[in-house]
Amino acid sequence: MIQQSDNPILAVKGLKTYFPIRRGLLGRRQWVRAVDGVDLAVGRGRTLGLVGESGSGKTTVGRTILRLLPAYAGSIVFDGRDVLAIPPGEMRALRKRMQIIFQDPVSSLDPRMTVGDIVAEPLCVHMGMSRRQRRERVSQLLDRVGLAAGYATRYPHEFSGGQRQRIGIARALASGPDFIVCDEPVSALDVSVQAQILNLLSDLQDELGISYLFIAHNLAVVEHFADEVAVMYLGKIVELAGRDDLYAKAVHPYTRSLLSAVPRPDPARRSNWVRLSGETPSPVNPPAGCPFHPRCPLTRQLAGGLGPNQTTQIICDGRPAMIAVKCCTSQPVLGPLDGNPAHLHACHFAGANYSRSDNARPA
Amino acid sequence: MSQINLTVNPPAGDSAQSLDLASPGRSLWGDAMRRLRRDRGAMICFAIICFYVLLALTAMTYEMVSENSGGSIPTFQETCDFANYYKPPTTEKVKWWLGTDWSGKSVLFKTILGAKVSLTVGLMANLIAVPLGMLLGAIAGYFGRRIDDVITWLYSTLSSIPGIILLIAMKFAFKNVHFLGLDLSGIHGIYIALGVISWVGTCRLVRAETMKIRELDYVVAARAVGRSDMAILARHVLPNVLHIGIINFSLGFVGAVHAEVILSYLGLGVDVGVPSWGTMINGARNDLMSGYWWELASSVTAMFFLVLALNIFGDRLRDAFDPKLKNV
Repeated sequence: MIQQSDNPILAVKGLKTYFPIRRGLLGRRQWVRAVDGVDLAVGRGRTLGLVGESGSGKTTVGRTILRLLPAYAGSIVFDGRDVLAIPPGEMRALRKRMQIIFQDPVSSLDPRMTVGDIVAEPLCVHMGMSRRQRRERVSQLLDRVGLAAGYATRYPHEFSGGQRQRIGIARALASGPDFIVCDEPVSALDVSVQAQILNLLSDLQDELGISYLFIAHNLAVVEHFADEVAVMYLGKIVELAGRDDLYAKAVHPYTRSLLSAVPRPDPARRSNWVRLSGETPSPVNPPAGCPFHPRCPLTRQLAGGLGPNQTTQIICDGRPAMIAVKCCTSQPVLGPLDGNPAHLHACHFAGANYSRSDNARPA
Repeated sequence: MSQINLTVNPPAGDSAQSLDLASPGRSLWGDAMRRLRRDRGAMICFAIICFYVLLALTAMTYEMVSENSGGSIPTFQETCDFANYYKPPTTEKVKWWLGTDWSGKSVLFKTILGAKVSLTVGLMANLIAVPLGMLLGAIAGYFGRRIDDVITWLYSTLSSIPGIILLIAMKFAFKNVHFLGLDLSGIHGIYIALGVISWVGTCRLVRAETMKIRELDYVVAARAVGRSDMAILARHVLPNVLHIGIINFSLGFVGAVHAEVILSYLGLGVDVGVPSWGTMINGARNDLMSGYWWELASSVTAMFFLVLALNIFGDRLRDAFDPKLKNV
């Protein structure tokens, strides 16, 4: 199941992150299945984009990989070592090599600390450096991310969003990591600043060989930045392929509807937008079978061509709809597309002809 | 990987090089102090509080000097002047400015000595209550689960008992108890009793704020870096809730001053004969019927201005520190 690269820096298998909830005073314990069986791998020096709508579990995947949230099941192998099996004492040493960049440049920096102290925090924990060495390293780091070294004595609230994000990047770089989880690092920034930050991240990758797990909901950003792209829906990966492959030949109906929703500066193409009906189901009670079936436009279309014993009626968004029985009884497994082993998908009818396939982006 | 070809204005808004590199940064503390200094009302209240502190220090010095002088300087108890009892306020002598009491002692001096008692009680009670409340609140809010349950249970229980009853109960419990060389039946007992019952407010606020901070990205970042829980509490959580402690210190002061006066009035506070505003009010209660109003008026007025100044200053402090005013 592990794609392209032979010796990935990070390999995640069957990862599940569940959060317990209890409803009512005597309610039985239930689980929010935020991440429900995710397989992915990040090649050395490469970028895996992880996309999906809000609530799909992409941020949870990133935090579970860094062991900031407890995993419920599965394995996370980082550079040959199982992260989930490492005792807390050794975990500290591993944290040096895995870092995170946050979405919100306001809450990611402690407002009471100077920029210098913020960037030096990993140095204090990991490198037995003297105060002077630390100061020197902080200046280097600030310089590397495009900030003046003199800013070290200033406080986060004195900076703009883009500058704060650079400070966050400097902190992530301080301990010299091999792998960084970028948790929507540009979503909170305006477009011109987004490009600057993305260029910075990509320069750092070229220079230092860092691998990224790049979490985003903006498909245009991921298309420019990622080598491979994984699409998440309701805690599961529904499609995973090389960037060009995915953007040109998406097979999963969810990916297609996402791609069709990307705004294009061309009024003529507006009508192609595949609107999904209904809301994202609750991750407490995910739908049986394919988690996407209540909203899937493909199965609705195909149901017309199937025999009566192969279709069934569901209620979605208050309206009845006919769909294929298979979609609500058996859960599709992430597997390779016929004739393209590098393109993984989880859809029973991925190969089927889809009348709105012109939604897949023209080259 | 290729560079991204979005049209980009040359680094404009992002790198505001206009920031003056030479001057140090403006910390949130600095900003709050600047706001406070610009606030005239707060500064007037601060001046009044300072005036009271000065009076209290004077009273303290006088007591220390007179006790150690071996009789050359009379202690306050020895200044009885039965020839001039119940003398109404007069400008004849400085010590008669606010009149004299039943034994001819100066009401002015008595009021000043009372300020010392009130201020020390306020200070000591809050020195116990605020750090205790902050620590318990931060621990409860940060760790959650069982620890939170225990601390929440503790302060819920404590706050369900009326404060004054608890104070009286503790006062009796401390009778003839000596602890670390302190005689808890006297004023030290009041410090501790007040401190132990008045941490609840601070604890509740700090706990709630910590629960919010715990989820913020900078705490997650510190964990991702490998900081231990204790280091996160000390370096990230406590500095970010310290302003709550400072505000509550100022507001808790008022409560402690009140409590001391009420206890002393009930005869449960300072030892009999020690001049304090509470004992003055208690002693003057019968005098008022006979028209001797000045002892009551002096103590109540002195207390009024201190409490007013502390209350307003506490409010202004909160305004100055309130992070919501600043977009951070």
